[in-house]
Amino acid sequence: MKKTTLSAAALLAVGTLGLAGCSSADAEAEASTSSSEQAAEETVEPQDITLWLAGTDTPEALIEYLKTEYTDVNGGSLTVEQIGWGDLISSLTTALPDSENTPDVAEVGNTQAATFTTVGAFMDLTDYYDEFGGDSLLPGFVEAGSIGDQVYALPYYFGSRAVFYRSDIYEAAGVEVPTTLEEYTEVNASMKEQGLGGAYLAGRDWRSGISWIFANGGEIAEYDGSEWHASLSSDASIAGMEMWQDLFETGNVAQSTDDDTTTYSAINDEFLSGTPASSTLAPSWATWTLGDYDEETEGYVWNPETFGVYALPGVDGGTAPVFAGGSNIGVSAATQNVEGSLDLMGIIFSDEYQTMLAENGMGPANLDYADIYAENSYFEGVNAVALEAASNAKLTPAAAGWASIEEAGIMEDYFQAVAEGGDVATLAAEADAKIDELING
Amino acid sequence: MTTPAPAPDTVGTEPAHPQTPAPTRSRRPRRSKLPLWLILPAVGTLLVGLAYPVTWQIINSFKEYGLAQQFGQPAEFVGLQNYIALLTDSVFWTIAIRSVVFMALTALITMAIGILMALLMKAVPTWSRIVLQVAMLLAWSMPIVAQMTVANWLIDDRNGVVNYALSLIPGVDMVGHNWLVEPLSFFGVAMTIIVWASVPFVAFSVYAGLTQVSEEVLEAAQLDGAGRAQTLRLIIMPIIRPVLVILLLLQLIWDLRVFAQIQLLQDFGAGGERYDLLGTYIYGLGIGQSQFGMASAAAMVVMVLTIAVSWGYVRSMLKEDQES
Amino acid sequence: MTRTLLRGSGAALAVLLAAVWAFPVYWMINTSFQTPGSINRLTPTFFPTHGTLGNYTAVLADNSFLAGLGMSVTITALVLVVCVAFATLASFAIARFRFRSRGAFVLAIIIVQMLPAEAMFIAQYKMLASANLLNSVLGVSIIYLAMVVPFTTWMLRGFVAGVPVDLEEAAMIDGCTRMGAFRRITFPLLAPGLVASGVFAFVQVWNEFALASIILTENEKATLPLWLRDFAQTSNLGVTEWGQVMAGSVLVAIPVIVFFMIVQGRMAQGLVGGAVKG
Repeated sequence: MKKTTLSAAALLAVGTLGLAGCSSADAEAEASTSSSEQAAEETVEPQDITLWLAGTDTPEALIEYLKTEYTDVNGGSLTVEQIGWGDLISSLTTALPDSENTPDVAEVGNTQAATFTTVGAFMDLTDYYDEFGGDSLLPGFVEAGSIGDQVYALPYYFGSRAVFYRSDIYEAAGVEVPTTLEEYTEVNASMKEQGLGGAYLAGRDWRSGISWIFANGGEIAEYDGSEWHASLSSDASIAGMEMWQDLFETGNVAQSTDDDTTTYSAINDEFLSGTPASSTLAPSWATWTLGDYDEETEGYVWNPETFGVYALPGVDGGTAPVFAGGSNIGVSAATQNVEGSLDLMGIIFSDEYQTMLAENGMGPANLDYADIYAENSYFEGVNAVALEAASNAKLTPAAAGWASIEEAGIMEDYFQAVAEGGDVATLAAEADAKIDELING
Repeated sequence: MTTPAPAPDTVGTEPAHPQTPAPTRSRRPRRSKLPLWLILPAVGTLLVGLAYPVTWQIINSFKEYGLAQQFGQPAEFVGLQNYIALLTDSVFWTIAIRSVVFMALTALITMAIGILMALLMKAVPTWSRIVLQVAMLLAWSMPIVAQMTVANWLIDDRNGVVNYALSLIPGVDMVGHNWLVEPLSFFGVAMTIIVWASVPFVAFSVYAGLTQVSEEVLEAAQLDGAGRAQTLRLIIMPIIRPVLVILLLLQLIWDLRVFAQIQLLQDFGAGGERYDLLGTYIYGLGIGQSQFGMASAAAMVVMVLTIAVSWGYVRSMLKEDQES
Repeated sequence: MTRTLLRGSGAALAVLLAAVWAFPVYWMINTSFQTPGSINRLTPTFFPTHGTLGNYTAVLADNSFLAGLGMSVTITALVLVVCVAFATLASFAIARFRFRSRGAFVLAIIIVQMLPAEAMFIAQYKMLASANLLNSVLGVSIIYLAMVVPFTTWMLRGFVAGVPVDLEEAAMIDGCTRMGAFRRITFPLLAPGLVASGVFAFVQVWNEFALASIILTENEKATLPLWLRDFAQTSNLGVTEWGQVMAGSVLVAIPVIVFFMIVQGRMAQGLVGGAVKG
């Protein structure tokens, strides 16, 4: 009995979905009238639902769009709450299991997605997977939200990392944009020797530093079919870390105790002191805070004369895998408004909304819209590079205990200790032991 | 009780004669229901607000209760497993000892500075006393979140004024120094902020206590040839001693339970057990790592430890209470 | 001669200490009037000579600050009034009467204060959720009330004990009932004690944010500490807009400064009064 109602609801949801997609693509007015007609015919109960978004990352305009569109499609109203990143885990932990108070749809950081998926916090969306984008959805993120072949939390948006650099400093030092990871070290070492600049490699910023491990074929942890095992002390991981340590010692201008809070703006004029930072590996959205300061608008304006961007090169050329930031989104398993939630998911994965994400500089979940993302940027080139890096991006292990590892700051401590010149193999073994203790939840 | 006779009345609540010993002795022995009605609202409040959470906490401290259980899996009783795991974990003991040391240092430093400040206020011309009082009042009234936010801005590694000022010293370059990475430095920052914020309260209270020491007594002491130090030690200190005792006690309680400041500082800087005191450790176990069973056990252990440590005091308080 | 010199250097020291204690407050105000341009320079700007009100207009642009102020004031006022009322009654009971459950009650209010709050958040959430009190003033207030009533009761007990029982007895001879005597004679004399213990409750409630962040998930229900914390953490993609954050801090501090200005004299006196006699 329950099953039939559910599938009927699903059918209905799919029906409205198709309409929503069509309305955004072509004639908006026409589609919305027909959707309300259909609603009248099928006497769908409008549902008032709640969406939890993480922080203020989703721009106001997009939130407004979701609200109006939802009312058009479903007839009910959509309430959007922005939960600060710092409170996200605690709020989700308390609210998601509670069917009376759960948000119907919730965004969750991509590194937290696995944890919540594993414990059954999200509804099974496997049946709608193709409808919402199917194999065009970012594979790494889908994996983080899946158990086996069942999909629970889908990608929401992504950000990737690229090297932002000062072309004027590169020119003055007579160095070219590096094409291999080894060259990246050489270029920076050369600049630093000349006292002109160097890489801003914050000692505790493991989300950037992990690229050296990835590029060498290493992993943070590997899944053996039943359990996760930390693999920072694998040969490949250690090779990568030693490369990073070498760069830190020869071509870096940041401190071993620096964290990622200052990384973004390290290459702006105001921050250039002593030996200036000539490049920094930062998330793609850092572009909003890079450039010359403009007193009038009180913001930073990208200056293509002196600023540039490239993807971090790999060991043998190409691009190195970077750590992908971003988030997943899923329907609470405890929701009482399944139809409404699916309507909302339909809107989120519609052409229109994916386009809006892409245009606002957030990597769209559906890679069919990646071109729009690459082209649409407030300055040229960055998103294209970010996308190039994203095609190669990796996530943290999709393990139940990963959130605990982040909470305990194990990765930060490991990178800092390596930056301070410790023996990589010893430190890696220590970090592995700590990770193994927590990673399987 | 060795409490010296209170100084002459300045407040108006002063009893006309020394405290009546055992006022209740003369009370009618008739068992009145009145006191029960009087405590009823307070008892009700505690029951409504705490009965369920405390019971939940006690029960779950004996269960394997993690995120999976929070999402509906049955939580199994594991006996004392959580307690054993906790008590044999060196991390827990490290943090417990760290918390006690932090508490003692912070409270003592606060008291020392506060008392000196109060003595200073007593000694200086009125105008400068008022300047100092206004400054202290401003500091005192800063809400904790605002305190911590401002502190974080002051010690900002690049644009913070603290690093800038230190770098003015020849040969020192502190720009870019992150104060929140070295655990010792982290706790130093936390302690500085807490002392800064707590000194005004201590100073005001001690100062108010000092104003109760009458001029005549002091003059008499001077006539008897007592030096400044002697006056302070033999006359003033005994009179303000009860104030000092209660202040020290309050500081100790607050500094042991400190949570908000450390939590906010971790939000701004680095997290992890190296930066934990007991409050944030329990919070991190529960909310951070979703080990609710362990967090409950930790809370119970901390409560028992607190009771054990303060038992002498609690008993003397209860005894004194029985006698009064 | 040496005395004047001593007083002079004492005054200098007092002013110096005042500067140290006021500096963070000054720096907060100073930064709140500056543009990001002058804030982000490596050389700090010590006076907001080219000040801007831009940070304040930006902070006040949406109504979230006022909403937070409303929540904080409502919750704190409610808890404060109820707490002081309940605690006064209870402190009267334990200071003036012997009764059977008295020992248990006194022990309970001492023990409760030693219980760490940080592990109970989940249970408190569940409790309020089942009573449908999430995101409500009443829900948080109930928990806060249980948090502050024990300490307030204990503190007030000292003050009640400090008022000689003879005064009440005299009033009873004049025909007052027990409660009437308490209300007319003792209660008015408790004023400094009420202020002192009220301030403790105020500070605790006004500053609480950890539980609030779990119970009050709706954005417009955020209390001021939550508002400021979220504001400081989420501004602009990882780069902190210090000017706006400091403007927010100033706004959050103002209500407390006003409150403390009003009560501070009585507060310190009250504490001394209670301690000396308690």
